[in-house]
Amino acid sequence: MSKDSQMRAAINQKLIEMGERERLKELLRAKLVECGWKDQLKAHCKDVIREKGLDHVTVEDLVNEITPKGRALVPDSVKKELLQRIRAFLAQHAAL
Amino acid sequence: MKMEDMALSGPDNTRLEALVHDIYSELVEDACLGLCFEVHRAVKHGYFFLDDTDPESAKEFEIVDQPGLDIFGQVYNQWKNKECECPNCKRLIAASRFAPHLEKCLGMGRNSSRIASRRLASNNNNVSKSESDQEDNDDLNDNDWSYGAEKKCEQSENQREIPNNSPRRSKSLKHKNDDKLPFVSLALFQYNNYNNAGISYETLGPEEVRSLLTTQCGVISEHTKKMCTRSQRCPQHTDEQRRSVRVFLLGPSASSLPDADATVEADMFELQGDGSGAQSLISRLQWEDSPEISPTDSASSRASTNHSDPRRPKKKKRTSLVLNSTAGGGGGGGVSGEGTSGSLTSGSNGGVSQSNVSLPAKKKRPKLPAPSISSIYDDLN
Repeated sequence: MSKDSQMRAAINQKLIEMGERERLKELLRAKLVECGWKDQLKAHCKDVIREKGLDHVTVEDLVNEITPKGRALVPDSVKKELLQRIRAFLAQHAAL
Repeated sequence: MKMEDMALSGPDNTRLEALVHDIYSELVEDACLGLCFEVHRAVKHGYFFLDDTDPESAKEFEIVDQPGLDIFGQVYNQWKNKECECPNCKRLIAASRFAPHLEKCLGMGRNSSRIASRRLASNNNNVSKSESDQEDNDDLNDNDWSYGAEKKCEQSENQREIPNNSPRRSKSLKHKNDDKLPFVSLALFQYNNYNNAGISYETLGPEEVRSLLTTQCGVISEHTKKMCTRSQRCPQHTDEQRRSVRVFLLGPSASSLPDADATVEADMFELQGDGSGAQSLISRLQWEDSPEISPTDSASSRASTNHSDPRRPKKKKRTSLVLNSTAGGGGGGGVSGEGTSGSLTSGSNGGVSQSNVSLPAKKKRPKLPAPSISSIYDDLN
């Protein structure tokens, strides 16, 4: 177990070091805006905020409300592409 | 590091897959968190709901999706048959044909010189015709009325062009049919002009030069050494330039613009011819003068004054006539100097005639005086 977490940390560090994590993040953001994910979530945010009242909104509330929905709304194609990129990175890295 | 690589390439792919999914969900959560921050900031700054509209206006500006309508619910080809009024000739022209019509009507664009000289030619051709006839001619030549009319005109134009395939040539041929010698030579010049876009003045005889200068701008270009073939009020050259060219080619006695001279004469004749009757006529002319400037109008007036072409004898007579008129007609004296220097304030009747004379380019000359001028002139001859 400690070995597993150790490996995780190493890989994360590698992702950040190589700048791959930033690249993936940027790619994901672009794809999500492109496919309307962001607009959908914003509409959902509006409902949440109206429900709670404008002055009583906290970031925590929003995160709790939005994140599950956001995760569910990511289109399959985007998800597949991202997983593919991550796998490719790991494979490439393992080859070194 | 090496140990981890070994672990990654190891047999348990499930662990690797779990790792990939973890990374992925982290990324997605990052994106969600970013959005949450963004929305929260917008809410706290109060601009989150700015792009919202109330339901009524949302309904009002709903995008219409019906056949035959655009997204605003309007019939989208309603502009197809829209007509515009030409500010120059006051006719209604289909909007799609308005720009080309305006180009022709105002005589601008690259065809202007050709159209202007064509107009000039037709004016010379039927000197005695009235202005309304001129306008009718214009109608025939102008294809801007509608699509149907355009097609008709194109057909007829094609038929006309069959013999020698050039409207210009046919124009000049039309001139040749006239029996008046000066016009024939003039037409020949114009025909040359069409080919050269300018005349080299050295090749012309004095008579030719004179008849040319009575109808055209004639300013000699610095670059090409050719004469300008546009009308006498062509915007490229100033009156000053035209005058100096005439001084250069015809000598100092012809320093003023010929058309100005001619109109001066005309009015002097009027003044002298029948005393008070002429005065009343002049005041009527003032009324009939309209502010709108039309190229055909002024051209036709010039054509009418050019009707009797030998200029020299006319000029000599003019001076004496002017002297007479100064004796009889109040403030007419100023006219004898320069046609263009008359004052615009109309004090006496003589002054009135002066202002008429001094602006031949800007005032519309009614058709009435044209025949009377020539008849009087014939009497004098």
